[in-house]
Amino acid sequence: MASATSRPLEYLEGLPGTTFYKLYQQPSTALAIFRRMLPDLAKCFVMALLYLKDPLPTADLEVWVNSESKKERDNALSILGRLHILSTTLTGENVRAYMITNPFAASLRQALMGAEDSHSFGVFSQAPEHTLTSIADLDEYGRRQWEGVLGYMVGTSALSGQRDAVNLSKGVKQLLQAGHLVEIRGNRVDITKDGFGFVLQDVNTQVWHILILYVESAEAIGMDSVEVLSFLFLLSSLELGSSYDKSHMTPNQLRTLADLADFGIVYQEDADATRFYPTRLATTLTSDSSALSNPVTGSLTGSVGPSGGSASGFIIIETNYRLYAYTSSPLQISLISLFTNLKYRFPNLVTGKITRQSVRRAIEMGITADQIISYLLSHAHPQLRKHSAAQPNGKGVPASVLPPTVTDQIRLWQLERDRLRATAGFLFKDFTSLTEYQAPCQYAAEIGVLVWKSDRKRMFFVTRHEQVAAFLRSQKVGGK
Amino acid sequence: MNSVDASEHYELGATDLSPSLLIIVIDTNPHAWAILEDSLPLSKAIANILVFINAHLACNYANEVAVVASHSQKAAWLYPSHNAPRHGPADRDGDVTMNGASDAQPPKTNKYRPFRIVEEQVTRNLKELMDSTTGDDLRGNMSTMLAGALTLALSHTNRRTLAWAEEHGGANGDDAAADGNGNGNGGGGSTATNRYSASNEDERLQSRILVISVSGSSDAAHQYIPVMNSIFACQRLNIPIDVCKLSGDAVFLQQASDATKGVYMALAEPRGLLQYLMMAFLPDQRSRRHLVLPTRVDVDFRAACFCHRRVVDVGFVCSICLSIFCEPPPGNDCMTCGTHLDIEGNAKPALLPRKKKKKKRVNGASGTGTPMSTPTPGP
Repeated sequence: MASATSRPLEYLEGLPGTTFYKLYQQPSTALAIFRRMLPDLAKCFVMALLYLKDPLPTADLEVWVNSESKKERDNALSILGRLHILSTTLTGENVRAYMITNPFAASLRQALMGAEDSHSFGVFSQAPEHTLTSIADLDEYGRRQWEGVLGYMVGTSALSGQRDAVNLSKGVKQLLQAGHLVEIRGNRVDITKDGFGFVLQDVNTQVWHILILYVESAEAIGMDSVEVLSFLFLLSSLELGSSYDKSHMTPNQLRTLADLADFGIVYQEDADATRFYPTRLATTLTSDSSALSNPVTGSLTGSVGPSGGSASGFIIIETNYRLYAYTSSPLQISLISLFTNLKYRFPNLVTGKITRQSVRRAIEMGITADQIISYLLSHAHPQLRKHSAAQPNGKGVPASVLPPTVTDQIRLWQLERDRLRATAGFLFKDFTSLTEYQAPCQYAAEIGVLVWKSDRKRMFFVTRHEQVAAFLRSQKVGGK
Repeated sequence: MNSVDASEHYELGATDLSPSLLIIVIDTNPHAWAILEDSLPLSKAIANILVFINAHLACNYANEVAVVASHSQKAAWLYPSHNAPRHGPADRDGDVTMNGASDAQPPKTNKYRPFRIVEEQVTRNLKELMDSTTGDDLRGNMSTMLAGALTLALSHTNRRTLAWAEEHGGANGDDAAADGNGNGNGGGGSTATNRYSASNEDERLQSRILVISVSGSSDAAHQYIPVMNSIFACQRLNIPIDVCKLSGDAVFLQQASDATKGVYMALAEPRGLLQYLMMAFLPDQRSRRHLVLPTRVDVDFRAACFCHRRVVDVGFVCSICLSIFCEPPPGNDCMTCGTHLDIEGNAKPALLPRKKKKKKRVNGASGTGTPMSTPTPGP
């Protein structure tokens, strides 16, 4: 989940406070952000505070959380603060207290209790249906378009004549290029290092990646990024298999809609149709990617016939590094061949072996070990999952799905090359006393931003400084 | 270099956070709600509960909910229900199975609409339930069908757990099924529990039951055995029973939340129902690890006797099957297992000093049978 959430979260955090204010006007946005971006504990806090009339004193909240879970608490509070959901105020008795900021609280309450004539959750198309579009059709459409995008990047679409070619619009290609996922040299499309990383991610993360690129580029072509973002969150709250009315939409939203149709995120019969259908790619945007992406990935792999079915994984990997992939999709095969030495190819199966050489080749192309492992994991065959779940190790943790030797070895192969890692962040130093140094350092560790520290030199390094700075300030005030 | 630490890899498999299933048992006993009319009428309580349900559904995309009404003479499903005409193209019509449980999983891919579907179904079914209740049903019947409701909830949980496990990797399904079988052979309880909870705590469907209780359950003593059996089943399956008591005095429910490590709250101010629900009952099992939640310290462990269904502090316990009786069973033969009990000879002299105090209430004593340790086989 961490990898899937982080990108949209990072993007949102970078937005200025006023943007949040505008975003949170929409109940669907508030609901989507609540559901998608927050950790469990943060959700509990939000819900507990949502219907409280008065702000909750900080001390009360601290009492509510177990003393062992301080780290989780601070992490939750920190995320809530960064997303401008939670703010602290002073109550009448001069006690610091938490409250949910207003446009968010009002919108979330509206989402929970329902609101009069808000179009925030989409308007059903009332017009009689000419052609019935079934969920299977939508899945197929979404799969084809998305695979087309990926195929374009990897360069398989040119090779595989048997697949119905997907015509990618110019906008899609430009977006991929602007996001540095591909480079176009003359007539040839070359995938970049970022692009390799991209194609190995699970579908949900990919969609988010593209959408954020889209929002970023929307500014450049004169669309309001807030409007586009809230429209995306609106899309994610629609129901699969239903058609929605386009007449309530603003011109910008219609433009977005047309662009998203190219990616297979929404479906419309033609550009002038009065209705559109969200595909599974849109409706699972704010789900936990792990919980529900299976139907999408399952159908996207194209491994089990055209209808998709419920099979979610197709890769079996053994402890001797042999890999068996039950797929006939040229896209998947070319993805696997990025980090595997393929040996045999059968109508529905390819086999190969992961070797030091093949992994190093992949890493030289810019693929990381984590990406390989997460790719293998998200496409692991049900048999592998079954096997691991049947053998819990003693500590109550299920055994890993992939053979540990293989994952370890892939990482070790990467470490042979990667000895340095850069982390952007901030260094705190020149503390006058050890006690003065310890408190913020400990605080930084608790909120999970601490990367490195040296007690001897009284220095520590964090990825994010705002809260630590705020903490230092509050300490200074408290000390005097 | 930390990235080569083996422990990190084991976590990879466990990061899939499973959704939770919340089953709400609403006590709809009209007598009890009539008493509450001034502070919290049923309609208002239902409105609060619906917001709470929405909040639960909002927490996770795949969260599920089910609502059971524990009425005065029967237990009925409020949501999901099979007879309701479900609208929308995602309708899986014609798919009518027992209790409509196959509809339990709302169409996966919507969010605002599930709120509305739940609301509509709950209010409609509740109205139907109330309309179908006649005066005759209520006369002389003050209790609520808690046992039936709990049993419905449990069977629904079991079905959903199996179905969910099947969708997400087969082994969990086998595990749960094996455990289901294990339930039959009484003694193996603890090992079954360990395996169930330990092997995939985070990966299986997290279920919990919330009982919103208004009736006093001293008049539900005749349901003692089925209620306790449900509680023990929940205990074994690691399903917490949360109890939100609006009024009345629910003896067995205290034991239920205590035995299953659920939350127990008696609301001093029923009007604040929503806030109580949001704060204490919304967190799922995963979040509860980090929170301090209200439980009851002084649990009422009294049991009901098997012969007259009276709630007793002190009674007779069969030494073979641990059945509880308020007075020596007729002919000194245990009514459950048929063992002949030699009561006169042993029990009295040993407990003479204590007996003097309790003489007024019970005319004999043989140990205070706590239902906690009693595996109460059904008669």
